[in-house]
Amino acid sequence: MPRYSVSRRRAMLILALTTVLLVTLDLQGNGAVSGIRRVFSTAFRPVQDAVRVVTRPVENAWRGITEYDELKAENQALQDRVDQQEGAFIAALATTRDAQELLALNGIDNLTDISSVTAQVIGEGPTNFSQTVEIGQGSDDGIRVGMPVVNAAGLIGKITEVFPNRSIVMLVTDASYSVPVQIVNLTEEVASTTSTSTSTTSTSTSTTTSTVAPRSTTSTSVAGSPIDSSTLAPTTTIDLTGLDLSGFVTTAPPTVVTIAPPDTTRSITTTTIDIDDLPAVETGALRGRGVDRAPLVEFIEQSSRFGEVRVGAVVVTAGGSQSLAPRGIVVGRVVKIVERLGTAGAILEVRLSARLDTLNFVRVLLYQPTVSR
Amino acid sequence: MIELLNRSVVRLTLVGLLVLALQTTLVAEMSVAGVVAQIMLCLAAASGVSGGSERGALAGFALGLMFDLVLSSPLGLTALVYGLAGFLAGYIESLSVEHPWWLSSLVVGASSAVATFAHPVLANWVGLEGWLTVRVFKIALVVSLVNAALAPLAVPLMRWSLAIRRMERMAPPPEIFL
Repeated sequence: MPRYSVSRRRAMLILALTTVLLVTLDLQGNGAVSGIRRVFSTAFRPVQDAVRVVTRPVENAWRGITEYDELKAENQALQDRVDQQEGAFIAALATTRDAQELLALNGIDNLTDISSVTAQVIGEGPTNFSQTVEIGQGSDDGIRVGMPVVNAAGLIGKITEVFPNRSIVMLVTDASYSVPVQIVNLTEEVASTTSTSTSTTSTSTSTTTSTVAPRSTTSTSVAGSPIDSSTLAPTTTIDLTGLDLSGFVTTAPPTVVTIAPPDTTRSITTTTIDIDDLPAVETGALRGRGVDRAPLVEFIEQSSRFGEVRVGAVVVTAGGSQSLAPRGIVVGRVVKIVERLGTAGAILEVRLSARLDTLNFVRVLLYQPTVSR
Repeated sequence: MIELLNRSVVRLTLVGLLVLALQTTLVAEMSVAGVVAQIMLCLAAASGVSGGSERGALAGFALGLMFDLVLSSPLGLTALVYGLAGFLAGYIESLSVEHPWWLSSLVVGASSAVATFAHPVLANWVGLEGWLTVRVFKIALVVSLVNAALAPLAVPLMRWSLAIRRMERMAPPPEIFL
């Protein structure tokens, strides 16, 4: 049986102590550690790039061998989904436009006000534990640590490390990721009435709120909205007749929504929605749990109006002065509800709307919370 | 230049950088059953098989530290785990006088599995939650199998990197003289 001398034990001890020192310094956010990382990264970058170029054919061949059947099946499934969602998308456009006008009228930031940088994913995380990807844009493009990263489907993660021309994105599934979210229970049907009138857009902006006991009703008439008219498309008419809108919150009868530039006569759609029937919103904290487990929403403050969270409820970022993500980024849907005893509240399992295993292009929102601006 | 290349520190740095570049590019993209192979860990364990427990620990620590510098996890965590892998591989290898290639593969695979389990446990100690899941078993299995398969390549590579001469290699492990 081998024995070990005092000097060897001392060497092992020194290694262990060095580790403890390094871990402690790093966890305390020591600047020297970040500096060392930055210098190493700069020196290592050319080697990494060269190896990436040389090994790309091998990587492509591997992908071709292992993923061909899967990609073929996925392509067919996606084509079906695209067909199904084409109609829904047109309807959503109209709804989104209305929502943006209302947010702008109330001085509330929305996602379209936030500049963004499009970046390509250039590398996967090299370990099996932390969930990260590398993107090809960095501080030279205005990216800072903490900024949210999204794609067309929803939230992807946040920036955790920034270099001049690349950044590291921590994915939503990483166990260290956390973000405040809202859970929106979609109502079965929202009672609403729609009337159409004609007015000139430049004449007035009026918002009337009237309460009719016992249920409150908000009637909003928007004309000549303060939104920059240059951002509006020329008169666009979207005919929603015949589209299946059953999946949407507002199930107003099929109508014609017209978006017209100022000083033109246009059709104004006034939608009256019963507030009590609007989808209720509840807040919580979403945190990742690793690649093989769905993220969870915890600390839900259930209100009486919200009632029970339902499977299928939509999860979006909550925003707020300290949140790293602005309000309204789609995260996913609730797929499982785990009730807990006492006042602990339920835990919700969330299926992310974005597929994190096939990321290619992502968008970094150049957003920083109010407190750090 | 040639003399410089004969130094084990220089060789280890060069090999480490090259393999790290492979780990973060090609290997990161080529997952096996959803698990990314860990060729840096393979090198760390192979250094223990080649040079004994002490050199294995030092080389593993150096390789882990290089890996740490490109990761977001706390600096030193991977270094400790890889140092442990090198030490363990060297220790197990020293228990046998003969070193057939299959035994080296077995040792590299076993050390890699232990290190893969140790990684989330140590991460948990330093406050990184969520790493210690059932998936660790799958990761350990795949990583140890891949590393065992790569060991016949990694062991000679580390022998060269650590500048271990033939005479030294053929000699009994230093531990038995202590």
